[in-house]
Amino acid sequence: MNLINTMIILAICSIIGIGFYCLIITRNLLKLVIGLQILVKGVMIAVIFAGNVQGKIEMAQSMAYTIIVADTIVTVIGLAMSIQLRDKTGTSDIHSISKLKR
Amino acid sequence: MAAVLIPLIIFTPWLSAIMLWFIGDQHEQAEHTIASGATVLSAIFSLLLLLEISDETLLISPIGPMFGDVSFTTNAMSVLLVCIANCIGSLTVIYSAAYMRHEKSLGRYYGMILLFIGAMSGLVLTSNIFLLFFFWEITALCSYQLISFYNDDPNAVRGGLKALFITQFGGIGLMTAALLIYGQIQSLSIPEFIEAARQGAIPTNVLSLIGFLLIAAAAAKSSQFPFFTWLPDAMEAPTPVSALIHAATMVNSGIYLLARFYPAFENVPGWKETILVIGILTIILSSLMAIFANDLKRVLAYSTVSQLGYMFTAIGAGSVLASQFHLLSHAIFKALLFLAAGALIHSISTRDMHQMGGLFKKVPIISVTFIIGALALAGIPILNGFWSKELILEAVHEGTTIWIYLIMLFSVILTAIYTIRCVWLVFFGTPRSDRKVHDAPRLMAFPLVLLAIGTLTSWLFFTQINHAFSTSLPLHKIELETLTKMADKVLSDPLTYIAIGMSLAGVGLWFFKKKKDLSFPLLDIVREASLNSFRFESANTGIIQILTATSEGIRNLQTGSLNWNIFGMIAGFLIVSILLLIGGR
Repeated sequence: MNLINTMIILAICSIIGIGFYCLIITRNLLKLVIGLQILVKGVMIAVIFAGNVQGKIEMAQSMAYTIIVADTIVTVIGLAMSIQLRDKTGTSDIHSISKLKR
Repeated sequence: MAAVLIPLIIFTPWLSAIMLWFIGDQHEQAEHTIASGATVLSAIFSLLLLLEISDETLLISPIGPMFGDVSFTTNAMSVLLVCIANCIGSLTVIYSAAYMRHEKSLGRYYGMILLFIGAMSGLVLTSNIFLLFFFWEITALCSYQLISFYNDDPNAVRGGLKALFITQFGGIGLMTAALLIYGQIQSLSIPEFIEAARQGAIPTNVLSLIGFLLIAAAAAKSSQFPFFTWLPDAMEAPTPVSALIHAATMVNSGIYLLARFYPAFENVPGWKETILVIGILTIILSSLMAIFANDLKRVLAYSTVSQLGYMFTAIGAGSVLASQFHLLSHAIFKALLFLAAGALIHSISTRDMHQMGGLFKKVPIISVTFIIGALALAGIPILNGFWSKELILEAVHEGTTIWIYLIMLFSVILTAIYTIRCVWLVFFGTPRSDRKVHDAPRLMAFPLVLLAIGTLTSWLFFTQINHAFSTSLPLHKIELETLTKMADKVLSDPLTYIAIGMSLAGVGLWFFKKKKDLSFPLLDIVREASLNSFRFESANTGIIQILTATSEGIRNLQTGSLNWNIFGMIAGFLIVSILLLIGGR
């Protein structure tokens, strides 16, 4: 494995790691959506990279398009919901919004 | 021909169930008419199937490697059960037109009954174990829905849930067995599995595991030891439902399952013995409970459990024909008993036998038909119950040890005692309440009379049944025999007279105790135990308590916090990855 590939893998791992870290620590709904975005971008790079390594780049491209579409919908609905929730409850803190009994 | 009849038998009830849903509850008469018409039609189709009996498997459609083929069989055992399900089904639906008149949500009632009849036909006709499981679960669902039909009554809801919960143990057993079979032969076809098992292509330990899982499935569905507590509580259902589902058809599917797979497990050590022991324990415990119960429908339910125990014992003793012959007799006379009891309960509006008495002259049709059914239940000659019970006793005598035969004779006494007690308390003696009664209306009397005629005559078809069984089920090794030979064998056997003597002794014993008003300390202990269902009810409650406590404990893990959920997902992903890495080496 050459140096560039290793660096790309490291980059992918760190982007996915940042995304996960963001999802774990943040309590703000808006920041959660941003964390999810970072995570999905990492996954998308991973898919394209895997396609390139395997020599099936057209397959990877079509999967990347699918991810973009799905990801956009998730983001749009997530952002809309977080704004609606902030208007209704006056806060973006997911712990105070949560109503599940402990 | 059969390839056309089978879809018709299954889909006629199903399509009319959907039709009932569209019609809605405003048009009561239309609902009665459509339901009766559909069931009569499918009964005619099922009788036509009698002409098509063969041992071949019919392929309707291949649906890919995952689920196997949609294949059906028309062997004698399946066709017999289809005829029972559809004919008794049509009679109970006709009876319901009078019994359920002016009830609420009739669409739900008829829809579930029609769904059930179609699923039951599918269950017995299919030769694909995946489809068998599919239909098996539909029947369980319909049973649950119909037990809880009066859903404003907490007892009915509890009874339905209990039935659903306990029969699910059976469902899990059947599903696991199906998966194991698929794992072994990469096919879900029942004939292929039986062939593989007979040729020794399946390792013995796996084969025994499959066999015992199927016993668990059958015992839960047929309400056998230790699962027998759900059937008496299922009596909260409307009486036609009890007659159809909890006496004549669904509870027989366990017996059918064991009989169908019998050639595969015949030589598995301990398989037949386990069935025998389950059957015997069920017979004794449920007969004792029937003797002390006071609710008319509960007595009939306990007697159903004990008669199903007879069929289990017959399979355990190695006589599939005797078990299926008793299944036919029992389906007819027990449907008759339930429908007659239902007509009585409908007019007197109580189920407590201590509030009845002296009704014989007031309700002549009900009492005569009920007594015919009761005599068949007690095994009095020449009714159908007598012949099939004698065949079972003979099979037990030939296939097992003398001790088991003696226990069976003891159970014959118990059967006679609870039957005579029930008949006497309801129809004879002095009236114990001043409730008004009237005889069955014409729509109810028609099924009663037909079933009574069936009880008197169904054993005359022994030659045909035996011939069909021995030609279409070659692996079951059923001897070819005619009615005259069978009757001659039964009547010339001294054991037959011992059994009849035992029945009469039971009747005499009950009258003796009643007249002298005796009481023994031992009897009181037995009464106390049987009224408490021999502590099986407490065991059920214990299991429920443990489950509730566990789920309350686990509930704390579900915090609803997104951060924790993400953390859990990553941790799970890491654990699985590490396990895969270790396993990959």
